Amino acid sequence: MLVLISVKLAIYDTFATSARAPNVSDIAQKLTAPIEDVQSAFDELHGKRLLVPEPGDPTRIRMAPPFSGVETPFRVTVGDQVYYAPCAWDSLGIAAALHADALIHTTDGHTGEPMTLLVRNGAPIPEPCVIHIAVPAAHWWDDIIYT
Amino acid sequence: MLLFRSEETVGGWCNARGLPKRPLVSLDQVWVLAREWYENRLTVDSRRPGSDEMVDIFARIGLTGPFWDPKSDRRG
Repeated sequence: MLVLISVKLAIYDTFATSARAPNVSDIAQKLTAPIEDVQSAFDELHGKRLLVPEPGDPTRIRMAPPFSGVETPFRVTVGDQVYYAPCAWDSLGIAAALHADALIHTTDGHTGEPMTLLVRNGAPIPEPCVIHIAVPAAHWWDDIIYT
Repeated sequence: MLLFRSEETVGGWCNARGLPKRPLVSLDQVWVLAREWYENRLTVDSRRPGSDEMVDIFARIGLTGPFWDPKSDRRG
């Protein structure tokens, strides 16, 4: 359990401080822990829906929500750091997780019109927009990358 | 989970894909969801809300029905 918590915190700390996804090797080195133990923790965190591995490579992270390990249409600027979020919900989630103001650049999902959201002093500034979730809650994790 | 300028552009996105239009979520509602899911995510005790907790959170902000039930066997 101690390894699991340490790995979880190390993954999220890496995302928060560097805006990039660590892999199993990075975390093993950071924690001075055996690679096998860290891989097991990655697998368990996936089971707990705290991490999504890169398809075909369980040593790498596609996302540790709200953070994405790859560039997406949801670009979130916090201070001088630029993060990417898997979806609209998670783009706000980065501001919530970091307890920080954030500027979100994205586009209208249909027209491609550039859109921005601003989170300031703990809440988003009102902006004409709606969020559409195409998949029912019971099926979000059937294919979370699509969701 | 995409952002749209308006309900009309949501309709355009759904029509282009032959997908049904689902309940729309406002910015204020999704901010509540973002906080509930993530404001403690960087802490030792962080975890994803369980199914029953999710139902409660959704209900608090008016998101009810089978679409929002993580245990539903219906497509919503």
